[in-house]
Amino acid sequence: MTAPTVAGGSDVGADPSTPRPARGRDPDERRARASQSFWTVVVAVPAIFSVLRLGVEAGGELQTTLLLVANVGPVNLLAGFLTTAARLLSTGLVAVFALGAVLGVSVDRLPGYRRPLFARWADITPAWFVLASFLIALVTWPLLYLPLLLPALAAAFQLRPDRLHDVAAARVLIVAALFGGYLFFLAPTLLDAWQQRELLVLALFVVPPVLALTIAGPLPGAVIRPLASVTEAAVLAMLVWASLPVISTPVLPLTVTTVEATPGTTEDVRGHVVVVDDVNMVLLQERGGVRYVPIDQVKAQVLCPSEEELPRHRLRVHDFHVEDSLLEGLGRRVRPANRIDAACRSTG
Amino acid sequence: MKMFLTRSRVRSVATTVAVALTLTLAAAAGCDSRQESPLPSVNEKLRETHIYGQPTLKIGVSTTGPLMGELHGGTYTGFDVEIARYIAAQLGYEGDKRIEWVPVATEDRIPAIQGGAVDLVVSTFSMTDEREKLVSFAGPYLVTTQEAMVPTRLKDSIRTIEDLRDPRYKVCTSGGSTTEAELGKHQIRVFVVKEVGDCVDGILEGRYDAVSSDETILAGFLSKHPKDFTIIDMPFGTSEQIGVGVPISDPALRDLVAFFLDKSYQQGRKGLSSPWLTAYHQTLGPWLRAPKVQPPPLNVPKLVDFDDKAPRK
Repeated sequence: MTAPTVAGGSDVGADPSTPRPARGRDPDERRARASQSFWTVVVAVPAIFSVLRLGVEAGGELQTTLLLVANVGPVNLLAGFLTTAARLLSTGLVAVFALGAVLGVSVDRLPGYRRPLFARWADITPAWFVLASFLIALVTWPLLYLPLLLPALAAAFQLRPDRLHDVAAARVLIVAALFGGYLFFLAPTLLDAWQQRELLVLALFVVPPVLALTIAGPLPGAVIRPLASVTEAAVLAMLVWASLPVISTPVLPLTVTTVEATPGTTEDVRGHVVVVDDVNMVLLQERGGVRYVPIDQVKAQVLCPSEEELPRHRLRVHDFHVEDSLLEGLGRRVRPANRIDAACRSTG
Repeated sequence: MKMFLTRSRVRSVATTVAVALTLTLAAAAGCDSRQESPLPSVNEKLRETHIYGQPTLKIGVSTTGPLMGELHGGTYTGFDVEIARYIAAQLGYEGDKRIEWVPVATEDRIPAIQGGAVDLVVSTFSMTDEREKLVSFAGPYLVTTQEAMVPTRLKDSIRTIEDLRDPRYKVCTSGGSTTEAELGKHQIRVFVVKEVGDCVDGILEGRYDAVSSDETILAGFLSKHPKDFTIIDMPFGTSEQIGVGVPISDPALRDLVAFFLDKSYQQGRKGLSSPWLTAYHQTLGPWLRAPKVQPPPLNVPKLVDFDDKAPRK
């Protein structure tokens, strides 16, 4: 995505005749530096997050952290991070690109106005990357929040209803038909939501498509600066707030291992398997602490879900649960969920 | 020009409103995603029960009721036993190693729950108002009617309730059962013994002439002696709801048992195989004259569980 004007970082509002760019840097150099910074962040953030996650997973114990570091491969760690953080990352990117584009076009018509940070980021980001961010959001966001992608997409690519048809009446008809089809598709879910008095769900499904019709376009000059400041702070706060659960999401899968320490007496150990060798199975117990279980005492092991996976709503869109993403929903159809193993219940 | 400016201003205002509303909705969605479910989860309920953390689950069952609850060579079998196994597995006690079967006679079911000898009773336990003052019930998982079973030699002599009132016939039933009270209402003189099996033995030995009990219990004994007995269809009136008895002090356990019975019921409603149907076909099904379906359990709580997101179709 490229903006019609060159990304400039200086505030030249005091003297519009001052040539941009300021501070003696040419646009290509700025673009290269920005791109370099961007990719540094893309690589460094997952790495830092992954290490933080290991520390949290180890319960803050240095020796346990070192045990995990020694046994969890960097590729597994990164893949685990991306699996749990793809939703957060795409949310951040979509927010930046959508707000950046709206702020960008708003500033374009005000010569000499300092370009907000998000607008500059949107300017230097290639269109394919923006599109890829939306695609990742499309497959990783819960269905309940997917309608929000419509106004975000319209904002990021400045899509207006004018593009649908030259004749206004035809445009109205096309929009009405599209919206009618959308409501018809969601009718059973909307009815359920109404019966369950899930007003936020109703709003999240119905309102965003309407907003998508008017979100493209410039903002009034008076709104740009406060909006830019508030949204920059808000997106940053949102990322920090949403990253806390990502840091505390376990790196290793949760299991219950049935151990027979003495003949006839079994014990269920709930925790994460760190490593298995010929002698021991090393378990990071959910209640804390590491346990080395001799391999011949392990009688059974089952994979258990964690309580964070429990749904909050009882609504579905054509049998897809509203809190599932498209990927999760499709996955459930490929491998329908088995019932919860009894061992997962008994040890709480 | 003026019109263009006005349109431009309207568009700016519309964009501002759209951006503000989108941000508001996004913030609301963010808050929503971090909220806990308004409904309790199965695991939360489980933590509230008195069985949480117990290594085994003590279940009171009958050992003398053919097809319902019977002990054969150290193995418990029957419809009640299969239902008990299903509930135990759902509560986290899968396999007979995790279940402590406690034999309970009909009259001992309530004291066994009250005294803590068992965690729950699955033993053709009729849900009545009187009993609900002493124990809690989850269910029903079966609805039965009262019937009478007579030896084949008397099948033409005893056909109505009036015939049972005839002092020539000695009618037997188990003590503490709802049948005892029902027979009393019909002014039928009744011989009360400990178990229905004692009545059946008594008839075979010539001491009694008829036995009255739930049709499922009688069907069990009929399966043992198909040539010796006949079940007489008698309109005693009320049908009986069979439920799982749990301590009155443990509403969380009652809720969980009701939730799991309902889970099986919902599976059966969709035409899928359910634990109830499997238990029924393995035990009672072939011996009942009229086929039964699982009744909807009463007072089922709304709980969330890990498989709630699974496809329903």
